[in-house]
Amino acid sequence: MDVVLVQYLLLGGVYALIALGFILVFKSSGVLNLAHGRMVAIASYILYQMLEVWGLPPWLGILLVILSGAVLGYLIERLAVRPLLGQPFLSVMMMTLMLGMLLEGVRYLIWGPDSFTLSFAPKAGQGWLGNLLPAWVSPSNALSFAVAMLVFVLLTLLFRYTKVGLSMRVVAADPEVAQSLGIRVKRVFSISWAMSGAFAALCGVLMGMVLIVTPNTGDMVLGLGLPVLLLGGLNSIPGAVVGGLIIGLAQGLGSYYQPWGLDVKEITPWIVMLIILLIRPWGLFGEKRIERI
Amino acid sequence: MAIVRTRAQWLLLVGGLIFLATLGLYMSEQWLDWLILVGIFAVAALGMHIMTGLCGQFSMGQAAFVALGAYTTAFLAGSHGWSPWITLPLAGLVAGLGGLVFGIPALRIKGFYLVLTTIAAQFVIMWTLQQPSWLGEGYGLSAPAISIGGSKLTVAQFWWLTLVIVVVMIFFTKNIQRTTTGRKFVAVRDNDLAAEVMGINLFRTKLLSFFIGCFFAGIAGWLWAHYYQTANPLLYDFKLSLFFLSMVIVGGMGSTTGAVMGAVTIMLVDKAVPYFSDVVADAFPSLGFNIPAALGLIMFAVVVIFFIMLEPKGLYYRLERIKLYYRLNPFAY
Repeated sequence: MDVVLVQYLLLGGVYALIALGFILVFKSSGVLNLAHGRMVAIASYILYQMLEVWGLPPWLGILLVILSGAVLGYLIERLAVRPLLGQPFLSVMMMTLMLGMLLEGVRYLIWGPDSFTLSFAPKAGQGWLGNLLPAWVSPSNALSFAVAMLVFVLLTLLFRYTKVGLSMRVVAADPEVAQSLGIRVKRVFSISWAMSGAFAALCGVLMGMVLIVTPNTGDMVLGLGLPVLLLGGLNSIPGAVVGGLIIGLAQGLGSYYQPWGLDVKEITPWIVMLIILLIRPWGLFGEKRIERI
Repeated sequence: MAIVRTRAQWLLLVGGLIFLATLGLYMSEQWLDWLILVGIFAVAALGMHIMTGLCGQFSMGQAAFVALGAYTTAFLAGSHGWSPWITLPLAGLVAGLGGLVFGIPALRIKGFYLVLTTIAAQFVIMWTLQQPSWLGEGYGLSAPAISIGGSKLTVAQFWWLTLVIVVVMIFFTKNIQRTTTGRKFVAVRDNDLAAEVMGINLFRTKLLSFFIGCFFAGIAGWLWAHYYQTANPLLYDFKLSLFFLSMVIVGGMGSTTGAVMGAVTIMLVDKAVPYFSDVVADAFPSLGFNIPAALGLIMFAVVVIFFIMLEPKGLYYRLERIKLYYRLNPFAY
C-alpha cells in the first residue's frame, strides 16, 4: 500500500504544478483559464515533435518548449483575453474554453489521435537517479516531484522578494489602485500569462515523463487542475501544493482500495471538488471573498 | 395564446409551421437527419435558456442531463419493454431530479463556482452511467424505434414528431416568461439580493430553474435515444455541453427565439464542416484523415469566439436592430 501511496503522492507534485498555472493567472487578472489543460497537451506534443521527429537533444527541446509555452500564453492574453477586459466572467470563461478547443483542433490537425511517451524519462534501476532511489519509487515521478517543488519555492520567492512579484500582488488586490500607483497593469497581465504558459509547457514535459500523453491529456489536466485549485483555494500558492498532494493521496487511496470493485481513480478529484464546493467553497487556504447569497 | 398577438404573427406562425412540416415530404434524408438533430438540440438549448438566460444559473453540464434522459428511456423502453410514450415524461423527470441534486450547491455558491459544480456534474454523471452492468458499461444501451399503429416511424415521420415536441417546448418556454415563475427567474438573474428582499424564495426558484432546464434536457435525450436507437455514452461528452452553452450565447442570452436561432447557427456550422474539410484536404493533402474532426473543433471555436468578441449580445439582438431599423425608416429614432 505505501508503494502506491508514495507514487501518487509524487504525482501530486505534478498536480500542484498544474494548479499553479491556473493560480498565477487568476491571482493577477481574475480569469480562470480553462484552456490551461489544452496548453499543457499541446506543449507535450510540441516536445514530442522536437525530440522524436526533429531529433533535438532533450535539454534543448525542453528549453524551446518552455519558451514556446510562454509565447503562447502571451499571445492568448494579448489577442483574446485583453479585449474582453471588463466583460462578464462568463464571456471570458467561454473564451478560454473556446481557445482550448481551438488548440485541441490545431493539435488534432497536426498530430491526430497518436499517443506516446517521452523516451528521455529516467527508468527505474538505470542512471544515477534510478540507482539512488529504491526500486519501488519511479525515478521520473520523483524527478517531476522535485521539479514541481523547486518551481513552488522559486515562485514563493518571486512573489515575496522581487518587484515583479510585488506588482503582481498589488494588481491582484486592486487593479485600479495599482494603475494609479504607476504599475503597468497590462504588462503585469502579460507577464503572468506568459509565466502561466511556461508553467503549462513545464507541466507538459513532466506529464510526458510520468504518464502517457494521449489526445485526452487536455481534459485530464483540466480534471486534475480544477479540483486541486478549489481544494487549495483559488489564490493561494501553498494551497495549490497542499491541494495537489491531497488529491494525489486521494487518488492513490481510491485506486488501492477500489470501493465496490470500481476504478474510482479518475472520478475521485471531481468528487473531492464537489465536497469542497459544498462545505467550503473558498478552499483550504483561499481568501474568503466569495459572494454569499 | 397571448404570445401570438397580431394577425401578421398568426399568419407567419401558421405559414412557417406548414412550411416546416411539408419539408418532411420532399427534403433529402440527409437534410431531414440534420433537421431532426437541430430540433433535438434546440430542445436542450431551450432548457439552457431557462436556466442560464432567464435565471442566470450557468451550466456546463447539460450534456450529462441529456444522457440521463436517454439512459432512462433506453433502460425502461429498451431493456424492460415499456412503451416509449410512458418513458417520455419519465426521461424528463429523471433528468430534472438529477438537475435538482446538482442544483443544491446553487444555494450557497454562484458565478463560476457554480459553473465548476456543473462541470463536475458532467464528469461525475457520465462516469457513473458507465459503471453498472445493467447500463451497458461504457457501450451504452439500445433503445427501440418508436412505432405508431404498429409501424415504425420513418425519418420524415420522426421529423414531424420532433417538430411537435419542439413547438410544444417553445410554447411552454414563451409562456413561462409571462408567469410569476418566469418573472421570479428574471428577478433572481438581475439581482438576487433584491429578489430575496422582495420575498422571492431564492433556493426554491433556483432549484425550479434547474429542474425545468434539466427536464428539457431529458426530453431531448429521449428524442435522441429513440432517433439513433441507442444511448451511447460517447455522444454526451463535455464538448456537447459546450455546444449547448454556445447555442445560448450565439443566439443571445435571455431570448427564446435566440436559443433556437443559436441552435440552428451552430448546427449549420457543424453541417458546413465536411464541405470545408474537402477544400482544406485538397489544399493540404499531407494532413490526411485528421482534417474533418480537427476542422469541426476549429470552426466551432472560431464562430463562438467571433460572437463573444464582436456580437456579445447574440443574433437575436441583431435581428431586433434590423427590425427596429425598418420600423423607424426613414428616421433613425
